[in-house]
Amino acid sequence: MRFPTLKGRRLTSALLFAGAALVAGAVIGACTSDEEDQQAQAQDQQQQQMVQQQEQPQAAQPQQQQQQQQDQPAQVTGEARENTVQLVKDRGTLLCGVKQTQPLFGFREPDGSVVGFDVDFCKAIAAAMEVDLELIDASDASTRFELLANGNIDVLIRTTTITASRDRELAVDFAQTTFYTGQGFAVHAGSGIGSTADMGGATICVQSGTTTEQNLADHFTDLGLSYTPLGGSDQETQDAFLAGRCDVWTADQSNLASRIGVLDNASDFVILGELISKEPLAPGVRDYDSEWKDVVNWVVHGLIAAEEMGITQANVAAMASNPPNTAIARLLGVSFEGGEVSTLGFDSVGAQFIQRAIAEVGNYGEIYANNVGDAVPRACSLNALASEDKSNCPVGTGGILYALPYR
Amino acid sequence: MSAQAPASPPSPGGPTGSSTEVPLFYRRGFRNVLQQAIYVAATAIVAWYVYTSLDLREFGFGFLSDPAGFAVGSQWLIDVDGVTNSRLTMYLVGVWASIRAVLVAILLSTIVGVVVGVARLSSNFLVSKMAMLFVEIFRNTPLLVQVVLWYAILLVGAPIIQNVVNVGDFFFLSNRGIAIPWPVPSGGLWGVPDWFVGVWVIALIVAGLFAMRVRAARQERERETGQTHYSNRWAFSIFAGAALISFLLLGVVVSIDRPIIDGTQYAEGMVVKPEFAALVLGLTAYTGAFIAEIVRASIQALPRGQTEAANSIGLSGYQRLSLIILPQALRQMIPSVTNQYLNVNKNSSLAYAVLYDDLFRVATVVQNKAGHALEMFFIIIVTYMLISFAISAVMNVLNARVTSHRL
Repeated sequence: MRFPTLKGRRLTSALLFAGAALVAGAVIGACTSDEEDQQAQAQDQQQQQMVQQQEQPQAAQPQQQQQQQQDQPAQVTGEARENTVQLVKDRGTLLCGVKQTQPLFGFREPDGSVVGFDVDFCKAIAAAMEVDLELIDASDASTRFELLANGNIDVLIRTTTITASRDRELAVDFAQTTFYTGQGFAVHAGSGIGSTADMGGATICVQSGTTTEQNLADHFTDLGLSYTPLGGSDQETQDAFLAGRCDVWTADQSNLASRIGVLDNASDFVILGELISKEPLAPGVRDYDSEWKDVVNWVVHGLIAAEEMGITQANVAAMASNPPNTAIARLLGVSFEGGEVSTLGFDSVGAQFIQRAIAEVGNYGEIYANNVGDAVPRACSLNALASEDKSNCPVGTGGILYALPYR
Repeated sequence: MSAQAPASPPSPGGPTGSSTEVPLFYRRGFRNVLQQAIYVAATAIVAWYVYTSLDLREFGFGFLSDPAGFAVGSQWLIDVDGVTNSRLTMYLVGVWASIRAVLVAILLSTIVGVVVGVARLSSNFLVSKMAMLFVEIFRNTPLLVQVVLWYAILLVGAPIIQNVVNVGDFFFLSNRGIAIPWPVPSGGLWGVPDWFVGVWVIALIVAGLFAMRVRAARQERERETGQTHYSNRWAFSIFAGAALISFLLLGVVVSIDRPIIDGTQYAEGMVVKPEFAALVLGLTAYTGAFIAEIVRASIQALPRGQTEAANSIGLSGYQRLSLIILPQALRQMIPSVTNQYLNVNKNSSLAYAVLYDDLFRVATVVQNKAGHALEMFFIIIVTYMLISFAISAVMNVLNARVTSHRL
């Protein structure tokens, strides 16, 4: 008589399991049946994930990758994805992925606010779209592209270098470069290291999963020197270098300058003049999302154009009410002496989207001055306007910043 | 329905003596089928969902043969540079780094575990309480916290290399790591090539095998005659003598390389890097605490009579432990200790937190560069499983020897 009892218990547990599996299947089925719902749910979930992610990047990773796999068919075949312009407008919020660990570019202040050069471009885009801005932490280099691919963020403005392989292999498209820099090196003062040629055998702190890491490997192979890398996150490599674990710290020169510049003992470190790479930092958007890419692209161009034309945060309103010439009127989306106003096809965001961006954060030069300032001198650097007076610049230097024609 | 149905002969599976037909749902045969059907259906739903969610069109492992594009801090048997070597090679470097850390941690945690476990049973108040403190601290705090703490101590607590702690030019301690003397092949008296050290290693193996045969033979005679034949002493003398004589005959083919400091680098000798040290220290203390408890429990599980019998035939404390207690306790210990060794393998992935380039860390970098998350996680899981299987296999052989053999 014990056997049937056992049998019954087994049956119960089997039924319970099957029931649980069916419920799970039903939930999953319900989630996939309605794409709109899924989008909305996914947004919520992903925001929660973001919070987790900040605390436990490794743990959150596999989950996201799974989602990425789900998303891929659409990307591979180039089927129409959701239009992010519409998505952002419907949501009423722009989700902008920024760094929170790099002073001057994207940094979380002790009071919790996140500020920086990249953040201002987020603000500009949000203002252009007339939506609220939510800054999402994309500090972790190794998951930033997944955040974008998964829809956790709409745009990634996080000191990200454009490279061919990223453009092609990852589900990311790049807009206009916002900052030109190159890979530089910081050493301890008095170390006697003056250039990469002196770095044979050195221990070098470098951020894992970055183009920096690859440039370093390439450069030292070209030099025929060996080195010992110590890879980690941005903050980990900084800590290790400052503690003396590494002889050399390599990163984008702007990154080194911004991080060392804010230290109390900044004079204990030297940033070498040598650059071993081109690192154009640009906003990233998802592949197959060209209208959204156009908007991001032209906000950046518009802010550069504003500097070229002398439109500032302070005078933009006056300029808009009484534009001095047709080019300015067109850029600000206002009528010139009673003429027609054209949206230039930017119907979904309105003719005045660049004007709103300028009113929010100022032109490119103002953004640079407000955030980066003298920590990374702009004059005669690549980030100066191409039209700047180069007569005082050393040969071979000078700005290349140049807005494409808005007409 | 069943009430009105005419009485039918009892079904073979149903309760005998029942006058009514058993409803379908309560028949054992039907339930068995239903149970299986639900299980199969639930499994199929989940499998189908997973299969359809995955995009397997780009599935493949070809990406592993591309050049790595990054260097790793872990050393391998050969030099790897990250430009000419493939991603697969880099991954194997990471695998080797993991295995090295796991082996060292297993060895050290076993020593720590046995010593602490025996110490806990000591009648000396101070010794037993110290052991208890050790166990309680390291067993009851998260391993991640411990590993990160060790790393912080080694990075910030240890002096920078300019202020290196020098112990008689033999040992150096700084936050670049601990440098210790290390044997290296050398030309010796007759300037032979480096591979001659291999000849010596073969000689050692032959001597070792011979010594073990002698030991077994003498033990056999000991059992037959009851007289002591000093089997261990004989075996050790044969081995040590053969090793020494062959070493001298070959012309001293191994020299001890003392570490030196060249600028800001350790040169020569063996450098235990802080990343490796932090991981191994963490794994050792944590696992050692668990093994100590296993050792203590296994000893306490022995009947008290064993100790009393050992005392009554006049064995010393050490003899009692090494001849009576530990050999018997070993039977209890090995299955539990095997679990701990497997945990060491799995926990070694915490290398991620201390910048040690183990297999998981390298794999995440590869995946960050190449995508293919599904394939990479597949490889990672398989690798950890293979290492675990290898550990289990060795421990099973050991277990079989201990349990089947006479003590």
